[in-house]
Amino acid sequence: MFSTMIRPLFKNKKFIIGISIFLLFLLLGILGPTFYKVDPTEMTWDYEQPPSVEHPLGTDTYGRDILAQLLHGIRSSLYIGFLAATISLVLGTIVGSLSAVKRGIVDDTLMAMTNIVLTTPSILIAILIASYLRIRSMEAVAVILGLFQWPWFARAIRAQLMSVTSREYVYLSIMAGYSDLRLVIEDLLPTIATYAFMSFVLFINGGIMGEAGLSLIGLGPTRGISLGLMLQWAVLMEAVRRGLWWWFIPPGVAIVAITASLMVVSTTMDEVFNPRLREE
Amino acid sequence: MASKPMFRFLLRRFIFLLVTYIVATTVVFILPRAIPGNPLAQMLSSLSQVAQANPEAIRAAERTLMKEFGVDKPVLVQYGEFLLKALRGDLGTSISYYPRKVIDLIVPVIPWTLILLLPATLVAWILGNTLGALAAYRRNTWIDKGVLTSSLVVSQIPYYWLGMIFIFLFGVRLGWLPVQGAYSQGTIPSLSWGFFVDALKHYVMPFASIVISTMGGWAIGMRVMVVYELGSDYALFSEYLGMRDKRIFKYAFRNSLLPQITGLALNLGTVLGGALITEIVFNYPGTGFLLFKALTTLDYPMIQGIFVILIASVYLANFIVDFLYAWIDPRIRLGQEE
Amino acid sequence: MLLKVENAKAYYKLEKVSVKAVDGVSFEIFEDEVVGVVGESGSGKTTLSNLVSMNILKPLTLVEGKILLKINGEFKEISSMSREEVKKKLWGKEVTIVPQSAMNALMPTIRMAKYVEHLAHSHDLAEEKLLAKAEKRFEEVGLDPLWLKRYPFELSGGMKQRAVIAIATILNPKLLIVDEPTSALDVVNQRVFLKVLMQLKRMGIVRSIIFITHDIATVRQIADRMIVMYAGKIVEISSMEEILRKPLHPYTRGLLNSVLTPEPEIRKRGISVIPGAPPNLISPPHGCRFHPRCPHVMDICKEKDPPLEEVEEGRRVACFLYSEERR
Repeated sequence: MFSTMIRPLFKNKKFIIGISIFLLFLLLGILGPTFYKVDPTEMTWDYEQPPSVEHPLGTDTYGRDILAQLLHGIRSSLYIGFLAATISLVLGTIVGSLSAVKRGIVDDTLMAMTNIVLTTPSILIAILIASYLRIRSMEAVAVILGLFQWPWFARAIRAQLMSVTSREYVYLSIMAGYSDLRLVIEDLLPTIATYAFMSFVLFINGGIMGEAGLSLIGLGPTRGISLGLMLQWAVLMEAVRRGLWWWFIPPGVAIVAITASLMVVSTTMDEVFNPRLREE
Repeated sequence: MASKPMFRFLLRRFIFLLVTYIVATTVVFILPRAIPGNPLAQMLSSLSQVAQANPEAIRAAERTLMKEFGVDKPVLVQYGEFLLKALRGDLGTSISYYPRKVIDLIVPVIPWTLILLLPATLVAWILGNTLGALAAYRRNTWIDKGVLTSSLVVSQIPYYWLGMIFIFLFGVRLGWLPVQGAYSQGTIPSLSWGFFVDALKHYVMPFASIVISTMGGWAIGMRVMVVYELGSDYALFSEYLGMRDKRIFKYAFRNSLLPQITGLALNLGTVLGGALITEIVFNYPGTGFLLFKALTTLDYPMIQGIFVILIASVYLANFIVDFLYAWIDPRIRLGQEE
Repeated sequence: MLLKVENAKAYYKLEKVSVKAVDGVSFEIFEDEVVGVVGESGSGKTTLSNLVSMNILKPLTLVEGKILLKINGEFKEISSMSREEVKKKLWGKEVTIVPQSAMNALMPTIRMAKYVEHLAHSHDLAEEKLLAKAEKRFEEVGLDPLWLKRYPFELSGGMKQRAVIAIATILNPKLLIVDEPTSALDVVNQRVFLKVLMQLKRMGIVRSIIFITHDIATVRQIADRMIVMYAGKIVEISSMEEILRKPLHPYTRGLLNSVLTPEPEIRKRGISVIPGAPPNLISPPHGCRFHPRCPHVMDICKEKDPPLEEVEEGRRVACFLYSEERR
């Protein structure tokens, strides 16, 4: 079953382009820092140099190597993105499936909560939380971002499960006396797996963009290097107005490339799995 | 025009938003008290680093802060006072601009944010929806594919980074437009023609970066909606009755616009967050810039104040959108529960 | 005769395979009759309705055959019309389909009168005239014409159904195709709906009706003739009375036995279910498509496809039990 689902994807040109770009950046993030052994924090006297043989992407105000920063930044941004996405996915799945299976008052309370979080301008609350944390690890940033992405996913999961639970085989499981948990795992989750995967992809995007946003206001991770932090340093040092293009363009390109390629992957999957959009 | 069901719908929405607002402000209240490491104490200790120049002022600020946060009273009393003060518009005293009141500092910057945010959001929404509808109408042609692919990529460009590229290209390299601020330094905001032109020049780039990077998302959403609507039963039935294609498309467009309005409401917070950062990149003297300064100086009363106001305005905007929605959709106006 | 279908084959052409949804069917619809098309889901009955109304959209393709419709007294080959032509000349005026879920068939966010006005524009008719006609038609289906000034969601389920029929017949189409129209209605509304349908026919507003359903209990109340479909083929065509009295094809028998009917001779036989499932239409069984499920299967059934042959006056069946060939 799995292969019949995957095969049509690899016939789709857009999907192949998207997934290739994403995998390229994933590899850059995972392997890049191991192969390009330049310390991204090492300060040298070659400050604010444009790209050269010695520094392929130039240096910043403290003479640190931009390429090394970029590779480490891709790694941490992907890490934060994945972590935030996992948190959102788990939260959304729990809330959504609990609502659908338990119904009644559990459903009402959880959905009221979900709607409140959905309407709350989450970025603002994330900024606020981050502002009270003096030391922010990568993980802390990921948690803050992950806390606010789940509501619409939970709602979708709930709606899907509601429609599935009315189908016959679920009814049979209930008749067979399965516990709620077994019910969820065996019968219900497979039907939402592809949907969950596509949402996961979008959550990663949310995490990466969110990290960049937080960093730019000065609330990014307090240690390490991320794409957002690179942009923040560039802004702080007025790199843009002083025309140091090699400093602020690469991290932005990396963000756009990663998120746009994931977006393409997600939409093409949607086209393949959801024939209503494929049409005619 | 306003009917009973519509009134009921709006009342329900109002109560929901009020509850949500109270929850949000509660979070604003709880956070500094709940986060481990006692940010309040840290805040006080860091005060001395912020404004070394005037020890007298620091001590005064310290006293005000202690009083305003009311740390010596029971939590519930503190909470009640916080809510009451917030409702009265008393958001406390700023630390970095001591002894000025937070509210007096926020009010003058709000218009700048509004001037930037509202037109940019609306223009992006209108342009995006038009493009998306056009793509759906010309389904599977090069127009559709072009709109779709470029929207996909453009919608992933963060506003602020697009802003940086603009500043670099049009400001630094080409020198066409001013690189920062809302008006030239040294000029005093006035209602003169010269100031207007100057402000407009400063306005172009932040405005364009918000419009361009948000409209892609609307275009994609609209296309999906219209395609979906074109496949729905009423569209098919109209076809079977020999209704013209253009008319059926108009139906689909009309019905797709409704969820897009809801989408606008749900996205306001995100859009606002992006605009705040854009302001920082452009040194644009709006709320985002003020927030940035407050964050770097750890001016917590100011940070809290800004958030209370921002959250309130997002809910207010939400309510306005609800009103619009109820007014446009006959199903709500005439009372059909979905 | 109003409509004639000659050896029509319509396949859903997918990338590598074709789903043979309608595979070589021939029949005719006479003027002034109601024909029920009956079959399980996946038997090709909805595809057949799309074919008859020339609603052929990719991947559905008319592979072979002809469809002829009497327009202004002479037969036209509608199967050679382009989609544009079909929309302009056929739909609304000659043929109208009432879609499966008639409950959502009306444009939800405008008033029905406005919808009628838009229809008038599309057919280059005068607004007032068509509106007047709509008012009359609403009365004829038992709705207060004042409802025209309302939105569709303000109507109840049964009323909505009637409004849909009223609007569907507003241009007096000769042939009305209704696809599972009653499945969403309760019993009372079903009855009312069938009555309305018959009344419209009696008044000559529509000439003939094709009624597509899996529900024999409904169709037998209204249809003059019945077409039974199985796996993309017609297995039996007969008048309603005859088929209820004595179903010939084993599949028809099974189908009739599977529903509760008040007919004493059928009730006598008890309720039975046809064992097995309908075949997949990508590579249907060789020979007679029903043979894997047929209780009377013979050797010839596995080799040859039984032709649809007239066995009695006005009665055709595709089964070797009644064919010369097996002897």
